[in-house]
Parts: sequence; C-alpha cells; structure tokens
Amino acid sequence: MSVLHIAILSPFLFAIIVPYIYKRLRQIHTGWFVLLLPIILFIYFLQFLPQVKEGEGIVQSVSWIPSLNVDFTAKIDGLGLLFALLITGIGSLVVLYSIYYLSKDQEQLNAFYVYLLLFLGAMLGVVLSDNLIVLYTFWEFTSFSSFFLIGYWHHRERSRYGAQKSMLITVFGGLSLLGGIILLYIMTGTFSIQEMVANTSTIINHPLFLPAMIFILLGAFSKSAQFPFYIWLPDAMEAPTPVSAYLHSATMVKAGIYLVARMTPIFAYDANGYWVWLVGGVGIFTLFWGSFNAIKQTDLKGILAYSTVSQLGLIMSLLGVGAGAVHFGNDNQLFIVATIAAVFHLINHATFKGSLFMVAGIIDHETGTRDIRRLGGLMTIMPVSFTIAFIGTFSMAGIPPFNGFLSKEMFFTGMLRVVKMDIFRFDSIGFLFPVIAWIGSVFTFVYSMILLWKTFGGQVQREKLPKTPHEAPFGMLISPVILASLVVIFGFFPNILSDRIIAPAVETIMPMFAIDEIHISHWHGFQPELYMTIGVIIIGILLYLTLGKWTRIYQLFPNKLTLNQLYDVLLPSLETGSNMFIRTHMTGYIRTYLAYIFTFFIAILSFTMWSKHAFHFESTNLADIGLYEVLLFLAVIIGTVTILASKSRLTSIIALGAVGYAVSLFFVLFRAPDLALTQLVIETISVALFLLCFYFLPRNFHLEKTRFKLTNALISVGVGLVVTLIAISSYSTKLFPSISQYYVDHTYDPAGGENMVNVILVDFRGFDTLFEISVLAIAGLGVYGLIKLRLARRKEG
Amino acid sequence: MEMNNLVVLPIFVPLLTAVILMFISKKINIQRWISVGASLVTVMIAGLLVHHVSTDGIQTLDIGSWPAPFGITLVSDMLSSLLVLTTSIIGFAVILYSIYSIGEGREKHFYYPIVQFLIVGVNGAFTTGDIFNLFVFFEVMLMASYVLLVLGGTKIQLRETIKYLTVNVISSSLFVIAVAYLYSIVGTLNMAHISQRIGLLEEIPGILTVIAILFLIVFGLKGAIFPLYFWLPGSYYAPPVPVMTLLGALLTKVGIYSIARTYSLFFYHDQSYTHDLLLVLAVVTVLIGVVGSIAYWDIKKIIIYNIITAIGVILYGISVATTTSMTGSVYYLIHDMIIKAALFLLIGIIVNITGTSNLKKFHGLINDYPVLAWVYFIAAISLAGIPPFSGFVGKWLVIQGGMERGELIGSVIILLTSLLVLYSVMKIFIYGFWGGKDQDYPDQHSISYNKLLIPAILLTVIAVLYGFGSEFVYSYVAQAVDTLMNPEIYIEAVLKE
Repeated sequence: MSVLHIAILSPFLFAIIVPYIYKRLRQIHTGWFVLLLPIILFIYFLQFLPQVKEGEGIVQSVSWIPSLNVDFTAKIDGLGLLFALLITGIGSLVVLYSIYYLSKDQEQLNAFYVYLLLFLGAMLGVVLSDNLIVLYTFWEFTSFSSFFLIGYWHHRERSRYGAQKSMLITVFGGLSLLGGIILLYIMTGTFSIQEMVANTSTIINHPLFLPAMIFILLGAFSKSAQFPFYIWLPDAMEAPTPVSAYLHSATMVKAGIYLVARMTPIFAYDANGYWVWLVGGVGIFTLFWGSFNAIKQTDLKGILAYSTVSQLGLIMSLLGVGAGAVHFGNDNQLFIVATIAAVFHLINHATFKGSLFMVAGIIDHETGTRDIRRLGGLMTIMPVSFTIAFIGTFSMAGIPPFNGFLSKEMFFTGMLRVVKMDIFRFDSIGFLFPVIAWIGSVFTFVYSMILLWKTFGGQVQREKLPKTPHEAPFGMLISPVILASLVVIFGFFPNILSDRIIAPAVETIMPMFAIDEIHISHWHGFQPELYMTIGVIIIGILLYLTLGKWTRIYQLFPNKLTLNQLYDVLLPSLETGSNMFIRTHMTGYIRTYLAYIFTFFIAILSFTMWSKHAFHFESTNLADIGLYEVLLFLAVIIGTVTILASKSRLTSIIALGAVGYAVSLFFVLFRAPDLALTQLVIETISVALFLLCFYFLPRNFHLEKTRFKLTNALISVGVGLVVTLIAISSYSTKLFPSISQYYVDHTYDPAGGENMVNVILVDFRGFDTLFEISVLAIAGLGVYGLIKLRLARRKEG
Repeated sequence: MEMNNLVVLPIFVPLLTAVILMFISKKINIQRWISVGASLVTVMIAGLLVHHVSTDGIQTLDIGSWPAPFGITLVSDMLSSLLVLTTSIIGFAVILYSIYSIGEGREKHFYYPIVQFLIVGVNGAFTTGDIFNLFVFFEVMLMASYVLLVLGGTKIQLRETIKYLTVNVISSSLFVIAVAYLYSIVGTLNMAHISQRIGLLEEIPGILTVIAILFLIVFGLKGAIFPLYFWLPGSYYAPPVPVMTLLGALLTKVGIYSIARTYSLFFYHDQSYTHDLLLVLAVVTVLIGVVGSIAYWDIKKIIIYNIITAIGVILYGISVATTTSMTGSVYYLIHDMIIKAALFLLIGIIVNITGTSNLKKFHGLINDYPVLAWVYFIAAISLAGIPPFSGFVGKWLVIQGGMERGELIGSVIILLTSLLVLYSVMKIFIYGFWGGKDQDYPDQHSISYNKLLIPAILLTVIAVLYGFGSEFVYSYVAQAVDTLMNPEIYIEAVLKE
C-alpha cells in the first residue's frame, strides 16, 4: 500500500472517525476538522505537477482480487491529476463554505460529512484507478454518496424523490458501464485501461466493439446528465447547496466526462465514426436542450442545474469532435483544439459554476427564497455577492475578459472546424454543430442575464421575502470569492494553466499526438469566432429585453410530453403493471398452481420425448399377462373411479383401501411377500386412521358442487400418460446391469443376515432408514404441536 | 483421499441435538443453550471440513464401510462443504434470533429440535453422494419444514401449509419416480457411479434427456424456478420470520444445488438441449422475480420475490456452464444464502418494531433505529450486487460467463434487472427508514431490539467480509468449480479408481 493509495482511501478512513469527533466535540463545527483533509490532499496532489508535466506518470499497485485480474492500480497522469486537483480543491472550498451554511446546532453534521467524505474518496478513486473494476466500484460509491446527500433532508418528500431518481438513473448507468467493462475484458483479457489503450487495434476490429462502446457511453451520459438522462440533475438540487456546488456541478457529474476522455484513446479509432457522432452529437444537443430549458426556470438552483446540463453537453461535444482528430494523422492540430477547449472549459466551468452555486446558497440563506419571481434589487444590499455573481454569470455567458470567454471562443473554433472534417459525413451535415453551438450560446447568454439581473437588479420586494436580506457573513463569502478570483485570473492569464495542467491532460486523452505547446490567446483577429461571440451578445441582449414576448413558446411543449413526466409515469405504472400482472396468475388457489405446474410438466416432457425420439418399448423381457393381473387391474380402476365419483366420504375411503389392497395383491403375484405384507399393514392403518378422523369432520363434504372440469381432466390424463410412457421407455432401456447382484452376494457374508430386504434396509442402506425414522419422528412432533399449540393471530416477526 | 468421519458430523451433531432436545421440551432455557451451543459446534465442524477439503481434496465416507457404489457414500467436495458451512452459520444465526422472537409457545412445542432436524436434512442433502439418499434427506428437510410452517396453528399458517404440503408431496413422489427411472437405465444409485456409467455410453439415449428434464422439474419445484415457483410467495409469507428465514435462505438453495450437482455430474451430455432450456427458464425466472419484487409494498413480499430473482441468476450461470459462469454461480449461491438470511432477519426486526409489513404504514425508522437502517442498507446493496459487497463478484462473473459464450441478451437482462432488485430493496430504505420522526408504534418498546440485531449484524458482517475478501474466497470457490467442471475428479474420489 503506497502513500497514493492511502491518499485515495484516507477520506473513507476519516469518515469512520467523523461520528466520534461529532459526538465528542459538539461545540466546534465538525466541518473544521473535515476541512483539513481535502486541503492536505490538495497540497499532496500539487506536488505531482512537475512530474506529470514531464510526462512521467506515477503508477502504484496493490492487489485486491488478483485471481480475477482485479488490482487496485492507482495511476496519476495529466487527466487524473487535473481531476484530483479539482476534487480536492473545490472540495476544500465547499467544506469551508458548508461550515457557515449548515448550522451546527440544527443539522446532523456527522451524517453530512460522512457522506461528503465518502464522495470525496470515491471520486478520487474513480479518477485515479487504472483498473476498470476498481473504477466501477468507486463509480457506484459516488452514486450512493450522491443519493445520501440529495436525501440529506429525508423528511422532505422532494428530497426522497430526487434521491431515488438520481440513484435509479446513475446506477442504471453504472450497470451499463459494468456491461461495457466486461465486454472490453472479453476483448482484451485485461481490466487495465493502460493495457487496453495498448490493444486498441484488437478492440476496434472486434464484433463486440459497438456494444461495448454503447454500454460505456450509457454509463458516461447518465452520470454526466446528458440528454435524455439529465432529468435527475434538476431534482438533485434538493441537496444542500454546498453539495450541489460540489457534486452536481463541479465534480461528480464530470465523472462521465472523465470516462469519455479516458476512453477516447480506445474508442476514437472507430472507423465508422460512431464515437465522434455519438459523443459529439449527444453533447451538442444536450448543450442546446439544457440552455433552452434553463430560461423557463424560476428557481435559482433550477437555472443553475439546467445550465450545468448544458455546459456538460458543451464539454462532451468538444471531446467527441476532438476525437475526430485521430483520423487525420499528423494533420491533427487543426482538430485537437476541441480537446484542448474541453479541458480548459472543464476547469473554467468548475470555477464560475461553483461560485454561482455558492451565491445561490447565500441568497437562499439570507433571504429565505431562491425564487427569482420574489427576488430582485439585492445589488446594493449584498454588494459582494453581486460582484461574485456578476463575474460568474459574465464568464458563463462568454463575455470578455473572463475565462469563460476564452474557452467559449475555443469552443466555437472547435465546432467550426467540424465542417472541415471530410469524414463520417461531417462535410455534409457537420454544419449543424456550429449552428447549434451558436444557438445554445445565445440561450446561455440569456439565462446568465436572467440569473444575474432578476436577482440583483430592479427593486427589492421585501414583502415577498421570508427573511430580511443582508450580506452574507464573511466566512461564507471566502470560498466564492476565491473561485471568482480564479475566474478573473484564468481570464487574464490563461497560460498559467496551459502547460502545467491542460497540456498533460490533453496528452492523456490523445496519447497518439505530441502536444508541443498550447497557447491560449485573447485576440485571434477578426475571425468567425469573434463574429459569433458578438452575435451571441447582441441577439442575447435583444432576447433578454423581450423575454415576456417570446417565452410563450415554452407553453408549446406540453408538460405531459416531457422526459420528466415519462419518468414520473413510468415508475408507478411499472409497479402497478407488475402488480396487475402478478394478480393475473397468482390466484392463491393451489389448484390453479398445480394446473400450471402439471401443464408445464406435460408439455416439456412430451416435447422432449418427441424431439429426442425417446419412446422405446422392449417386450422381450415381459411375462405373459394372466387372468389375476387383469382382474386386479380392473379392481384398481374401479376403485379409483369410485373414489372420485362417490358422494359419500365413507365410500371413497373404503374404495381407497380397496385400491391399496389390490396393489398389495400385485406384490403377492410378483412374489414379494414382505412388500405385500408391508403394504397391507399400511393400507389397513391408513384406512382406520381416516375413519377415525371422521368424527371430527363436518358431515356434508360435497356441499361445494364440483362440476366436471375438462382442463383438469385433460391435465390428469396427460400426467398419467407421460409418466407411463417414460416408465415404459425407462424400463425398456436397461443399459447396465444393476448393482443388486452385490447384495445377493453379500447378504450372508459379511452382512450376516438371511433376508436380503432386511439387510438392505438395516445395513447396506441403513442410513436411509435412520433418516426415514427421523421423518416419522418429526411428523409425530408436528402432529403433537399442531394439536396442542393454537396461537391466536398476533403479530409475527 | 481417505475416509473421514468428519464428513458425517454436520449431519450427526444436529441429529443428536434434536433427539436430546425432544426430551427436554418444557425446559426452555436449557433448550436454548443446547441449541445455540450445538449449532456453534456444527459451524466449527463445518469450518474444519472445509479446511480438510481445501488441503486434502474431496473427503468421502462409505457408511457402514460398504464400498461405493453399493453402500451409501457421503461426499464432501468443496461445493458441498462450503454449503454445509453456510447452512450451519445461518442455522446458528436463526437460532440466536429465535430465542428473542419465536415465543414460548413454539419453544415448548419442539421448535428447536425441528430446526435441528431441518439442518440435518439440508446438510445431508448437500453431503450425500447417493441419489436415493438425497431423496431421503429431502424428506427430512421437507417434513421439518412442514412442521415449522404449521407450528403455531394460525389460520394463515394452516392455509398456506396445505398448499406447500400438496406441492411438495407431489414433487417428492416425482422424485422417487425419477430415481426409479434412472435406476432402471443405469442400474445404480451412487451419483459418481451414475456419472461414470453414463460416461461410458457411446450414444446417449433420448430417454436419459427426458429423465434429466424430469429431475429438473423435481428440483425446480424445490428451487422455485419458472414455471414451478407459484407456491413459494404465499407459503413463505405465512410463518414467523425465523422460519421464513430458514426456508427462504436454505430450502430453495437445496433445489438449486441439486440441479447444479446432477447437471454437472451426469446430465451434461445433451447440453444443447438441457442447458439451453435451463438458460431460458433462468432468464424468465429472473424476470418473474423482479416483477414480483417491484409489484408489492409489503416488505416481506419484496424480499420473498427476490429469492426467485436470485435463483434465476444462479441458474443462469449453471446453464451457461463455463468455468467463469460456474464460478459466478457458486459465489452468488453462497452470497445469496447469507444475505437473504440477513435481510429476512432485518425485515423481521422492522415488523417487530412497527407491527406491520406494509411499507405504506410506517416511515422514518432511521431516526430511532440508525444501526438497523445502516445494516439494512449494506445488506440491500449487497443483494443488488454493488461492489465491493458480497453480491458483486458472483453477478459479474455470471454475466461475464454468459457474454463470453455469446449469450448477450440473457446477460444484459441479468445485468439490468439488478437495477430493479436495487429499486425494490431501496424502496424499503427510502420509504421505511427515511422520513420524519412523527410516528409511534405500540410494540416498539417491548422487543429486544438490540438482541435481535446481533444475528442480523453477524450475517451482514460475514457478507461484507465475503465481498471484500473475494480473493480469499476465490481459492475455495475455484476448487468447487474445478470439481463441477471436471466430473472425473468427483468420480475418482468416490470410486477410488
């Protein structure tokens, strides 16, 4: 176990002691203790920057289930390190923020921080594991920690709803991912991503390639809230705001992005372009759909949720389009800009969206509402928050000089270059990418402005606010101020990131290319990108000013047709449908069940008999049928019919006895006197017992009119027929001598007996007899208990 | 591979205990102590047996020293001894739980001896190497289960026992008939000998396939596979929770074990027919199970239907019949026995607290019973196969085995239905444990909550260790699968040729 492993697992270990800290040191906010861990981890990961920049990855391995090729291999490379820094960096800020956000007197802080730490560890595990099974393990852990954080206020119905929804969708994705991992293993014989990357040629030519890719993408898309799986993310906003800022904006939802980036070297070579089209197409559509839907939201966090969906789509589309570069050999630098933009925007999004979420939390905290219809005019009351929000929204809208502007420009560049790709039919319909990208950006601009001005602009509506608004306490402002400062710093000096962080990450995503130097500049001259940005701003302002006029188009989309509605209808109807289905056949009557069982019995056995030509009749060994046999046979038949037909219980039982005696006479005929005697005794006793029981039974037992039922008759005849046919065939197929000769030879010596049946019963197979006796004993105990113990109906447990 | 008396002890110790307990039925405290002590001894013996098998290979015992195949031979291979160990552990946990929940009435009416008899039957069925003796142990197990089901004599128990009894009496007679047919053809009862003899045939007669299907029906009725499961949901619902646990965790698994044993040892010559049929039935069984488990808001029903789902998963691995899939099935089988027992016990505690099994009638238990909630959560996600808990490796390998053999659709169904399994058990967590603290339950203070929790925690901890320690478990499972995949190992151990 290396230091790296301990670092990854440390949040789990820390989570164990959190409840004790919480219990012992109630007067200090638990968050202060927890805060130490992400800070230490952040510093720990920082030290890898120089090494990773030089292209030296760090790999440490601990075996977990080596027999099944599962080793906990931790690997630090450009991509992993970028994510690790995001996770621990944003994590530190979020924990700091949460200390002021969650009251130590009212909240269950122990639970909160345990979940948060579990998430922190799980997320580090996802991005630093090379072994896919281990990655999957951590992946599911992130889903469950998210589940608990969304359901943190579980007394609220909406929290439970949101938690369940996110769990179902993300675990669905997790299972798909597992399916994809298994398929990749079948193709390559390894769970190691590095080894798979080395085996790309085997994978892309394998028939399982496409299913594996689809499974992996389903996992990534559902986690990263891509269309149509995004519906869980808006409901995840039920979580406390620090959680939304952390999991549902900056980190967990980027796990899908991470996975796609990580898998790019494996799947990008796909000669049919499925990867590029799926990742790019789903991403760009999600960008549009999220931004379009964000505008109609009235909850600050709702806007931010859809905005996150949209921004994740943006990053996803860049990764997809960037993957196209591998098909262009050394002429790739043209397209790789998309991948660079993806990584850059990933960082930028974490900074501006994190700060915006924190501001939304501050507003909620200080005014008591997040509804933009009640908010407004907070600019003067909360100047610091306003400044942060201003920076965040303008960056998100892609306005200079903030970092969002830079990555947005690069995004346009990436999308414009799609048109120049002359593969996979991008030259014909590829133009859709820049068009949709531009439209999505306009909407992004509009909702950014809504977010900012509806909250801070206009007049204060004090009567609509549950609390008297005032600026947030200093502590709560630290984290968003830091993030907003980063937005500005990265905006002015993007190149402090480019060589240290972005280039190594891009090299991990595109290991086939040497990334010589990345330079991000503010000014590209009068290029189409610039015109697009100017267009976004102009059209965006117009649309924002005329909001009331055109938002009616949202009413064109009936609520009943949304994906959300689909989920809401599907889940309960799945339950009621299942229940109705069960009720159709689970009648509670044993006769129905027996009818099913015997129908299957007849059907499957007769089909097997027929298809295997199994019927066989051998008459050479058979004796002639004598008069006695015929008579006994008739007696059995008559007796059986009497049992069924008789109206009197007494007659039925006597007839039953008659059948039994007839069977024992068969034994006499076949020269088995001891069996005959046994059978006679049994028949006598059982008939006597039945008669004894009469005393306790109601007199008229045929009160319920039994009609003749054809199905039942057919089933019983069928069962009899099948059993008989198999019996005849089995009897006629004696392939080996019976072992019984051994008993003949050994009864006198060494068994020392004179009656072979006895010796078999008490010696050769005495073990059977011992337990048959036990069966009798149990039955006796049962009868005793049944008679003596009659518990009243009471609760059982 | 010498004779080893240890093989018979997991059968003999409970038998002896049962006999002793029968004579002190009114002395409840002594009964309890003896039951707990004896089941602990059984666990230790079973553990020792597993150890012996792992170091010295298959252990056999010819009863009465009549040599195989003429006498009855007990055979502990790794699969058998692992299942015996698991059974013994579950028996121990259930007895511990019963002490605080089953009530004096049942305790005075031979509850403990009959539980011991049940364990005799189950351990015997796992251990015997003789097909007729298997029938006998089925009878022991079934008779004990009839009595446990009806003991108490409440209306629902009587009603459901009649159904259970009817189905099982029918399946028992089919069992004897099937054994007779098989004996007529191969002339022997020793399973290794049957395998050896069938192996000598140059051409497999069709009737043998028919008999294989007949055995599938017999064992499938016990194992509750589609379309033979109909009796299970009602019957398992009726008895008190400890009995439900024993039946749910152990009995169906004996049916599955028997299918695994016979279908790997001697009914493997017509796989394209028998195993493909099994594959289809397994997938439908899984589907029926999940449909049932999401159809109800009754927590007992939810777990009961999950039995059926798990059986389908195990059977799927058996039907695929590759080393990977078999490894998965064995992993899953043991996991499922432990985790099902744990879940039943946990459900029992909930019912004890709230007085109802209707999920719509209670909520917010986590506020007062956090430990119960977290143990339940771990058990629930283990059941759903979330790594690194116990259900994961089994599910993964079963699916991988299926995919390797090109059964993509079936494997994907197994994979995705585990989402519904998760949904069904997490529903209990979300609606039963979560929620405000605004409900009081009449009986909640009269029960021994902490004491009931101990056996449930014990089983859950075992399940967690089973998951984390998959590598440790692997060496045992691999040995079990080795024997399943190579019948000659079994034959050689029993017939010593």
